[in-house]
Amino acid sequence: MKPEDSAATPSAVGAGPAAVSGGARTPSYLDEGSMPLPFCPGCGHAKVTTALDEALQMVGRPRERVVVVTDIGCVGLTDRHFNTNAFHGLHGRSITYASGIKLADPDLTVLVVMGDGGAGIGGAHLLAAARRNIGICVVVANNFNYGMTGGQLSCTTPTGALTATCHLGNLEAPLDLMGTLRPSKPAFLARTSVFADDLPALIARGLSADGFALLDVWDLCVAYYAGQNKLTRGTIDDMMADLEMPAGVHHEGTRPEFARAWRDLYHPDEIADEEGMCLLPPDAGLTPVAESPLQTRLGILIAGAAGQKIRSLATILGAGAIMSGLHATQKDDYPITVMTGHSAAEVILSPEPVVYTGIENPEVVLILSAEGRSRVARTLAALPPESRVYVEASLGAVDTPARVIPLDLKGAAKEVHRLAVGAVGVGAILAAEGIYPPEAFEAAARRLQKGKVADTNIAGLRAGAALTPPADVRRL
Amino acid sequence: MIEFLEGNDAVVRGALDAGCRFFAGYPITPATSILTGMMRAMPDVGGVAVQCEDEIASIGMCIGAAMTGQKVLTATSGPGMSLYSENIGLAIMGETPLVIVDVQRQGPATGSATKGADGDILFLRWGTSGGLPLIVLAPESVEECYTLTREAFDLAERYRVPVILASQKEVGLTRERVDLEETARLCPPPRPRMAAPADTPYVPHAFSAPDDVAPLSPIGGPHLVRYTTSMHDERAWLTADPAVIARMMEHLRRKIDDHADEIARYEWDPQEGASTLILAYGVAARSAREAAARVRAGGGRVSLLVLKSLFPVPEAAIRAALEGIERVVVPEMNLGQYADVVRPLAGGREVVSVTRMDTDLVRPDDVIRQGGLL
Repeated sequence: MKPEDSAATPSAVGAGPAAVSGGARTPSYLDEGSMPLPFCPGCGHAKVTTALDEALQMVGRPRERVVVVTDIGCVGLTDRHFNTNAFHGLHGRSITYASGIKLADPDLTVLVVMGDGGAGIGGAHLLAAARRNIGICVVVANNFNYGMTGGQLSCTTPTGALTATCHLGNLEAPLDLMGTLRPSKPAFLARTSVFADDLPALIARGLSADGFALLDVWDLCVAYYAGQNKLTRGTIDDMMADLEMPAGVHHEGTRPEFARAWRDLYHPDEIADEEGMCLLPPDAGLTPVAESPLQTRLGILIAGAAGQKIRSLATILGAGAIMSGLHATQKDDYPITVMTGHSAAEVILSPEPVVYTGIENPEVVLILSAEGRSRVARTLAALPPESRVYVEASLGAVDTPARVIPLDLKGAAKEVHRLAVGAVGVGAILAAEGIYPPEAFEAAARRLQKGKVADTNIAGLRAGAALTPPADVRRL
Repeated sequence: MIEFLEGNDAVVRGALDAGCRFFAGYPITPATSILTGMMRAMPDVGGVAVQCEDEIASIGMCIGAAMTGQKVLTATSGPGMSLYSENIGLAIMGETPLVIVDVQRQGPATGSATKGADGDILFLRWGTSGGLPLIVLAPESVEECYTLTREAFDLAERYRVPVILASQKEVGLTRERVDLEETARLCPPPRPRMAAPADTPYVPHAFSAPDDVAPLSPIGGPHLVRYTTSMHDERAWLTADPAVIARMMEHLRRKIDDHADEIARYEWDPQEGASTLILAYGVAARSAREAAARVRAGGGRVSLLVLKSLFPVPEAAIRAALEGIERVVVPEMNLGQYADVVRPLAGGREVVSVTRMDTDLVRPDDVIRQGGLL
């Protein structure tokens, strides 16, 4: 049994894991040559940047194995100053790049630095990353407004606060990042402010967490938000109390980390062919077992209802043709709600490669249901007289100039299986039209379908072939 | 080995054989079977395939994974291409090799989700801000879904640029007889990623001549790698220097446009004495082939140019095919998008746009009648 996830109530910020407590620190991860930092005097982002550096020093990964991922917003300027790998992407999408990086190379330490703006526009990514528990550490420098574009409303702007786009007061409720993400039980969730002494240690805990970590770091935007809303170092704790969004560790979880869990679950013990070509199932090909007498291209339209297995039958019909040395194409037509309404398939069989994959006038039509008949009504009405329309007899009249051949397909299917009516119909047209030998269809069914399904289709085919069409139906 | 496969199946095989080991996508008709096919196939080759929360995350994850050294693929249809748009610009800006399959469906917006069209063609070329070039290939058959997917990966590596495969429902979800093992034997080996020497400083966007393409060192590899969506110099440092920006823009344009002839893929089937040229791509090319065969069988003369690459526009091939031609017939499953690309190249020749956007295939008869080939 894995240990239970910690309680949802925030705890005081305690000592970090062994990996981050004490010991010799690695040198700074900041690029001294890139200084000074570009932030306004007094902006909390400078504190965030130095805290990130201290946290990285505590964790001590080789800089080549660290990636700082940022996106658009003032705090997104930080990656430029880190002497690590750095990825600066589109507004609000840093979590997506970080997730791709982590999934591709699970051993990397991936640190995301974003603002509350990015958290808002990329909210779906935040939720998904926390649900996956993917091993990235997200630091949200949350200063309650969009500083880069001039101090507009963000998803964390408190109700009543003033910004450039709510100059009479914000009517929206602020997003509680902890409360929103806690139900997903990710590895680590904490809220703090840029003024907390233990900010670096807390970030280091996030970086060391085995899974998704997020730190909601309340921050001062001195250019816009702080002045207008009288927010200072001294009042930021009061603001947390007023909003009932306390500081502290809000969650520590033990769900498996996604990038590793995915590999554990899906990857076989040994990967057979890591570098070379993909492995194909041996001997699954459609090598011919028979010969077709077909001399010209033949267009077949099968029109039935959902549940009549039209698509898989059409595939077996085409595969059987290929196993008789023919070329074949197949296209299906069915509604998005696959278990109701019509289901139709167009199959072209030809001794030559099929160039045009449409059927201008099908030579053979098989109608298995009323839904199918209505679906192809326009085609039926336009058929030339020499086309043949095989129809389940109980459906009654078919409006077409073509030759109509009613057959008791349902009756024959009753002897086999209730789902065999399509196979009976295909058996009837294969026999009546003499398209290719039934053993090719049977071989195709055996090759592509599971035992019992193949058995049913083969029995249906034989029952259909036994139905006697009128003697004057053209045989190829 | 002979099989009866759909175009989307062939894309999956092509991607795996090209060395693709990372896929992220979001379900959408008619591209979903690429997502499910990759999820089934990837584990056996040691790769990763995931479903994302949306298309923005799908392409974002792919770009991130590509920068760690993986060959990556994502697949969608028109609505998802709209959501990919901004990140396609990022991949161009960051010079990221990335293959995207657009299994087009009839649009705009949700359109006819289960029906085909080629309505995204110009959007694929011009669908991100800035107007810089990328590469668009168009398969007409299941076999080409395999071969052009492989070529898309090679081109993405060669030019460090997104390559889009403009498939559509009528190719992606049509089943045909193929022997991909045999087809694979005729393909050149997959192009490996250009590695940067480990012992020299790494400049991620280095170029001397404007059309040079720098090697790509992976994040997590021997160098520290810097990547940015913002305007940058060769080191990926932000810049506001107009001279540096102009040079970078010229680089991003010319690394593709100067190599248009090398990227061009087409099949030219000229007929002596023909005054009409049918110029086609994608599934409409099959109608064009059938139309040309019927015209020729009836004693008529017609030449045929089938484009497999749409962008950069294979101008030299088009101009060569136009010699001695009086009229160009361009059949398309949209309202005449590529005809508008051909027209400025046609030097005053009549360009007949044969269009169909009602979810039916362009018929060979449409090409013959509307193209004046009776």
